[in-house]
Amino acid sequence: MFSVKPTKPTFRSYLPPVQTDVKKTIESPPKKVEPKLLQGEIVVNEVNFVRKCLSADSSQEGLWGKLICTNFKVSFIPTDPPSEQKSHLSHLLLGLHDIPLTCLEQVVTVNDTKGKKKVLGSNQKLKFNPTELILYCKDLRIIRFCFVEAGPESAKKVCLAIAHYSHPADLPLLFGFEYQGRRYHDSKVNDRGGLRTPIFDRPSDWDREIKRTGASEWRVCSINENYAISPSLPEHIVVPVSLADQDLKQNSIYFMNQRIPVWCWNHPNGSALVRMASIADPLQQRRIDQRFIPAITKSHPQRSEVIRSDLDKCLPNIQDLQSIFQMCVNNSFEESEERWLSSIENTRWLEYVRAFLKHSAEMVYLLDGKNTSVILQEEEDRDLNCVVSSLVQLMLDPHYRSLVGFQSLVQKEWVMAGHRFLDRCNHLKKNDKDESPLFMLFLDCVWQVMNQYPAAFEFTETYLTVLSDSMWIPLFSTFLFNSPKQRAQYLMDFAKNKAIPQGEDQLVYFPPVWDWSQQYSTADQTLFNNPMFVGKGAACVQNGEVKTFRRTKVHNTLLQLGLCFICMFTYFSTFSTSASVDFEPLFDGLPSW
Amino acid sequence: STVWAPSAPPPGSPASTHCPGSRLACIKEPLYHPTMQIFLIQLINLFVCFIAQDVTYFCPFIGALSGTVLVTNYRLFFRCMDREPAFVLDLPLGVVSRVEKIGGASNRGDVSYGLVCKDMRNLRFAHKQMEDTLRKSIFEVLVKFAFPVSNGLQIYAFEYGQVFPENGWKVYDALSEYKRQGIPNESWRITKVNDHYEVCDTYPSTLAVPVNIPDEELKRVAAFRAKGRIPVLSWIHPESQATVTRCSQPMVGVNGKRSKEDEKYLQAIMDANAQSHKLFIFDARPSVNAAANKMKGGGYESEDAYQNAELVFLDIHNIHVMRESLRKLKDVVYPNIEDSHWLSNLESTHWLEHIKLILAGALRIADKVESGKTSVVVHCSDGWDRTGQLTSLAMLMLDGYYRTIRGFEVLLEKEWLSFGHRFQLRLGHGDKNHTDADRSPVFIQFIDCVWQLTRQFPAAFEFNEYFLVTILDHLYSCLFGTFLCNSEQQRFNVRTVSLWSYVNSQLEEFTNPMYVNYSNHVLFPVVSLRHLELWVGYYIRWNPRMRPQEPVHQRHKELLAKRAELQKRVDELQREVTNRSASSSSERTGSPTRSITPVQTFV
Repeated sequence: MFSVKPTKPTFRSYLPPVQTDVKKTIESPPKKVEPKLLQGEIVVNEVNFVRKCLSADSSQEGLWGKLICTNFKVSFIPTDPPSEQKSHLSHLLLGLHDIPLTCLEQVVTVNDTKGKKKVLGSNQKLKFNPTELILYCKDLRIIRFCFVEAGPESAKKVCLAIAHYSHPADLPLLFGFEYQGRRYHDSKVNDRGGLRTPIFDRPSDWDREIKRTGASEWRVCSINENYAISPSLPEHIVVPVSLADQDLKQNSIYFMNQRIPVWCWNHPNGSALVRMASIADPLQQRRIDQRFIPAITKSHPQRSEVIRSDLDKCLPNIQDLQSIFQMCVNNSFEESEERWLSSIENTRWLEYVRAFLKHSAEMVYLLDGKNTSVILQEEEDRDLNCVVSSLVQLMLDPHYRSLVGFQSLVQKEWVMAGHRFLDRCNHLKKNDKDESPLFMLFLDCVWQVMNQYPAAFEFTETYLTVLSDSMWIPLFSTFLFNSPKQRAQYLMDFAKNKAIPQGEDQLVYFPPVWDWSQQYSTADQTLFNNPMFVGKGAACVQNGEVKTFRRTKVHNTLLQLGLCFICMFTYFSTFSTSASVDFEPLFDGLPSW
Repeated sequence: STVWAPSAPPPGSPASTHCPGSRLACIKEPLYHPTMQIFLIQLINLFVCFIAQDVTYFCPFIGALSGTVLVTNYRLFFRCMDREPAFVLDLPLGVVSRVEKIGGASNRGDVSYGLVCKDMRNLRFAHKQMEDTLRKSIFEVLVKFAFPVSNGLQIYAFEYGQVFPENGWKVYDALSEYKRQGIPNESWRITKVNDHYEVCDTYPSTLAVPVNIPDEELKRVAAFRAKGRIPVLSWIHPESQATVTRCSQPMVGVNGKRSKEDEKYLQAIMDANAQSHKLFIFDARPSVNAAANKMKGGGYESEDAYQNAELVFLDIHNIHVMRESLRKLKDVVYPNIEDSHWLSNLESTHWLEHIKLILAGALRIADKVESGKTSVVVHCSDGWDRTGQLTSLAMLMLDGYYRTIRGFEVLLEKEWLSFGHRFQLRLGHGDKNHTDADRSPVFIQFIDCVWQLTRQFPAAFEFNEYFLVTILDHLYSCLFGTFLCNSEQQRFNVRTVSLWSYVNSQLEEFTNPMYVNYSNHVLFPVVSLRHLELWVGYYIRWNPRMRPQEPVHQRHKELLAKRAELQKRVDELQREVTNRSASSSSERTGSPTRSITPVQTFV
């Protein structure tokens, strides 16, 4: 299915030269003012003589070039690129000035002389000629283009195209579906063997976790095969040995989304971490408690008690998170330099970060210090539970502080647990109400812990940054769907449409983000490795002294943008002294294993 | 009443001979207390002045602790055995800024006294009042030995005679440092005009000046510069020959006095650099302050008088503003942090803003020299506070040598110690006059700026954070002679141990395992407040809740050991390769028909 030979540079031609390609790249240096296009990527509109503003003051100097809108990205190609400045990471799929359309939060056109300003959506009209385009990005960049010297009509067209193409009508219209289809056919992709991260789409992955953590009283259960019971749980779940499939099926109807209590992790002392949705019918509460709680107790070698923590009651809700995050984005960049710290304080984002860390540390205390099993309960079990359950495991189990371990944790507690990435990221920009930066919050929490334990993590801040950036690149299956079921359905249709042979592994034809060679060269990937890492079996993280304050530096920019417009998102985190005081002495000397 | 302390014992006398017997105060043996012998035998010429049991230390983080206090002529040592592990407080008396009695009426029967320290903490002790003399005596002993200068005693550094494998006083030699920079050369010469500190008593004896200005003219320039601090070379760019020179303000006064010699002199500095026909004068002060100095006979260079010179004010505030800012910072961080307003409280101290202005100034200087290839003259009023901060930071950005441990020691010796930063006056070593308006955290600010640089360039410095903290600790400790006195002249005849003797004898403690020695690597830090952070590891280190959960120091040492091991392996392999290729080439000559794959080394 090799189509007509493309005239424009192909995806392959700008990969870092493999030894055999050396000659080819020397022959055709990509000097022209042409966009680099991926397979299946087409130019929608373009305009010349655009000035990209490099500082907040748009009248200041800038970079001249061509602004292009494709079906994947907004691309800016400087006519006179400043001398090669190698930033420390270079993205294989995105250029220095590229922004994926999925990364756009808001497209704003401005006419200075008329004093007009309009936020553009899909299929809209624009009654004035824009003199300036401001792109507010989800990775917190704000990028401005000036059209003073550009053709007014083509400038307007590009703006409208950007707005239109960043509001896809339907999920399969996201560029990833086009790209991965072509890529699958064009390049002989390797099998799943290259991926070291367990995906938790098959019983063996869960079995390995059960064995690794010594959870002998828990079993893999496949009642949800073909999503027969719950539309949002994975096909294979882990449940107490003492509960029969039939029992689980019968009782599942009482839970929101049929999300029955499922096992997440076992402490070596036998206590288990379990997550579940709320019980839909309060009248059934007792019945359910009598069914599940004894079973979980039974799965504990010491038959310890089980504590249930209702996260809806003790943590901020996702709408609050979103509004605070928005405030954070808006305020922090507009405030003057001198007021930076207090403007960060005013957003209260760090208080939220602290709340999640603190609650997780409390759960750690119960599991580790009190030897009790913990059930995390949340109305739908798909948001707050993801954050807390993964943080708890990260704090307690050094395995999850390795790179592959961390990825498997995200896979297990977020992707397969049915976190609604599609809605929370609002990739289709259809429902602002559902948008919430939960995964971002989680990464921030990880960053905070990482800074308190600089030698405990195999991966670096750079890794966290590129992971968060990847959320806004619609090419990987990881962040595109609301549940494993939805992923399965869409990818089945996708395979059918793209003539991908039946039975082919989804991970092969639509890979997850974990295959980092898609985005970065092997050399660049070494920047994910923390040289301070002491290796597995290091001392336990988080001794409950959740009171250190730290500065977070989330360059929420794609890293290669260092040159043009870096929005540094820097802040401190303060941890309250009062609340965790009770835990202090008990956290001393946690076991290391 | 002579119960407690020996009265001014002659230096070097063993402790036992100077303690008349007494219940509390004295000990017969220096190793009296089993838990305390460790430090007693470590320090030379140390004698115990006072020891008291059942003293309460009010730790702001743990609460009241009961234990034993021991005061020597160097330190205060408190140990509480009730806790596991034992709680120990070990405080060089040099850090004490003031000792105050805390009221007695409220705590019936208790004597309470507080120590306000220069290193961001306050300590409070109390003990039962046993007899009337006791309270007075503890207080007196502390006051006496914390402020030896005010009491006609010697600072401990003069007693301390520890011998280290290396003599730190040899680290810096002005001539070799100028030689390293390529001085003398065709444009710059070394002058001995100040050999006996006659031209300027706060300058070093060795100075580098433009070749075509004879010594006689230097003296006339000195007459026009405050305190005789003429412009002299700090650093020269190895390629462009652009220079960083430092001096004090010109004595312009209200009438706008001029000095032909001074004008000619600055012209000579400009002419020494063929790359640029301009000279930048960086005045560290806010322009208002610079103008106000005219009233006192000082001022700044007018661009009319100094042709081709451009004057830039860097807006850095004076020592009083800085002292006040650090005082506010201490209020915010010690003992407790108000979490809910932490960031805005920190902001209100303006400490980071001051740090930013200093770094921004140094960056402009470094940029002018490196990118603009233009020579710069840096001054403030007297040229020993802000000027030193700016020149040394700019040099740190420009020259990778100063980012090594030894290079940094040289930088401090040169720009701070030899050029007469008034350490004694700014820190008040052993002086009880804590309200002295000459005290100011100028040097701490500089070290803070260095720390900010290490945060932005984690692989560019050979030293680690512990090195910087150690320097600041011994800035006050009065154990070493390095930071005593106000000038090279005052330090000339002083017999003390150098801090660098101690540091260089255990370099592995202070080495950054991430260090990469890039050559010709100029650092241009980002000086936005958004990139600066509070140095928690120094300012808030007393708060156990603010310490790193997992100290990285041990890990650093492991990494260093690993690196050394790998380096050794590389060396071995290289030797093997060299030997092999040597033997193979001889084989080849012996039997030319045999083909041998050449071994290549990639280093």
